[in-house]
Amino acid sequence: MSEHGVQLRINGPGLLTVLVCLLAWEVVIRAALVQYDYLPAPSAIAAGLAELVTTGQLAADVGHTLLAVFLGWVLAVTVGISLGMMMGLSPTLRAYLLASVEVLRPLPGIAFVPVALLLFGFSLRTELVVVVLPALWPVLVNVMGGITGVHQRLFDVGATFRLPRMTLVLKILLPAALPSILVGMRLSLTLALVLAIVAEMVGNPNGLGYAIIRDQQALRPDLMFANLFVIGVIGITLNAMLMSGMWLLFPSAASMARAP
Amino acid sequence: MSTRSYRSLFRNMPPLRGLLPLLLLLLVWQIVQSGPSPYFPAPSEWWSAALRLSRREQLLSAFVSTASSFLVGLMLAAFIGASLGVAIGSSRRVARALRPLLEFMRSIPPPATVPVAGLLIGYNESMKIVVIVLAALWPVLLNTSAAVDQIHPLLRDVSRTFRLSARERMWRILLPSIIPGLLLGIRVAIPLTIILALLVEMLTSLPGIGALMIRSQRNFQSSEVYALLVLVGLFGLFVNNAFLILESWLLRRWPPRA
Repeated sequence: MSEHGVQLRINGPGLLTVLVCLLAWEVVIRAALVQYDYLPAPSAIAAGLAELVTTGQLAADVGHTLLAVFLGWVLAVTVGISLGMMMGLSPTLRAYLLASVEVLRPLPGIAFVPVALLLFGFSLRTELVVVVLPALWPVLVNVMGGITGVHQRLFDVGATFRLPRMTLVLKILLPAALPSILVGMRLSLTLALVLAIVAEMVGNPNGLGYAIIRDQQALRPDLMFANLFVIGVIGITLNAMLMSGMWLLFPSAASMARAP
Repeated sequence: MSTRSYRSLFRNMPPLRGLLPLLLLLLVWQIVQSGPSPYFPAPSEWWSAALRLSRREQLLSAFVSTASSFLVGLMLAAFIGASLGVAIGSSRRVARALRPLLEFMRSIPPPATVPVAGLLIGYNESMKIVVIVLAALWPVLLNTSAAVDQIHPLLRDVSRTFRLSARERMWRILLPSIIPGLLLGIRVAIPLTIILALLVEMLTSLPGIGALMIRSQRNFQSSEVYALLVLVGLFGLFVNNAFLILESWLLRRWPPRA
């Protein structure tokens, strides 16, 4: 690990494994060793990816999915941090809300799809409902846990210095709770991508989730695998961007937030 | 199980008066909108819709098929994930060589694999299980391999000093060390498993709660949609909490986690 937590060392054996797997895949398909009509060789997938890029289809799909993920994540983080802070700061609120949260939290996100479809039809709003509701919980729970986990002594320090309540929250509570807030934000981003793809597959016919369904129905497995590859790359990139953003902004909190 | 840990289990439960907002919401909903509606049917309508569905004998069989895919998929994923996790965690070199490949496969959102599996395997029960296992595998694998990696070197020395046989090493050192990580992995995998089972049912006509939900939505049977939402929520709630209890019971003799 370098000091920014991003691995810069080249993992030689790892890259070799990937190359060997791809090569073996290519050979197996070329030599017709397996009888799968719909399993394209890596070279065909690469050609499919090139086709998606030149037609501009890929840019449109990626743009839509990223928009939904970003909007949903920002909404979930905003609501999650506000509610989580309130519930973390007020024991009364916690007593009167926590059980409701615990009952709603395990509701599988996908179960909202039919309800959202009923209310909003095939639209971005449906997608956002499906993304925001489940992506809210990791933020809320981690923010609340971060604040209730702040050591009592820090409150005493605040009282000794007679800090106004706002200063206490901004200067003491938030920095102390920051690592768990960052953990919540990271979990929520991963979840937002998964749910955006789900919503696009069943709810809003747009973006990468719909693209793989469309390619499947058009019997174009090369395009389908190319889109799947892009989705994987987006997953890795979003996580890496968030991690490096955290390291740049809050180096000390990010080092504590690395463990999931 | 000692009474002490039972009590700590209940002490960790949030106070029940926290359910008031939820009940209040349902009550207000019932009062404001007391009849059927295409968008917000009253909670009493959900109940009668559930009764209607169960009279037609679909609810029970749909529930059984969703729940059994969930169980079978989760158990397979736990077994395969733990085996692979032990294999990978046992050797730093293997772990390093496989890391980029595994990192990439893990970062593909599991739902995206559904159409691929549909094309390669076809839409049938075994495809549903394959998709569930592929999703639930990663958390189990990663947590198990981390647990193997973190076995204290002293334990290896101890096993050498006592000349433990391979079998004794497995039962006395390996298994006790990985079980907390394995259980944590399963706990993380549970919500994913439920989502995948429902998604496959929604996208295909395979029987299950997911298929029932989409059918009700297409027929604009809003009260059935809400009834099924509540049912799925209760299932998630039950499974999560049942597993938490099982986990703390199984781990009763382990040292508390740091």
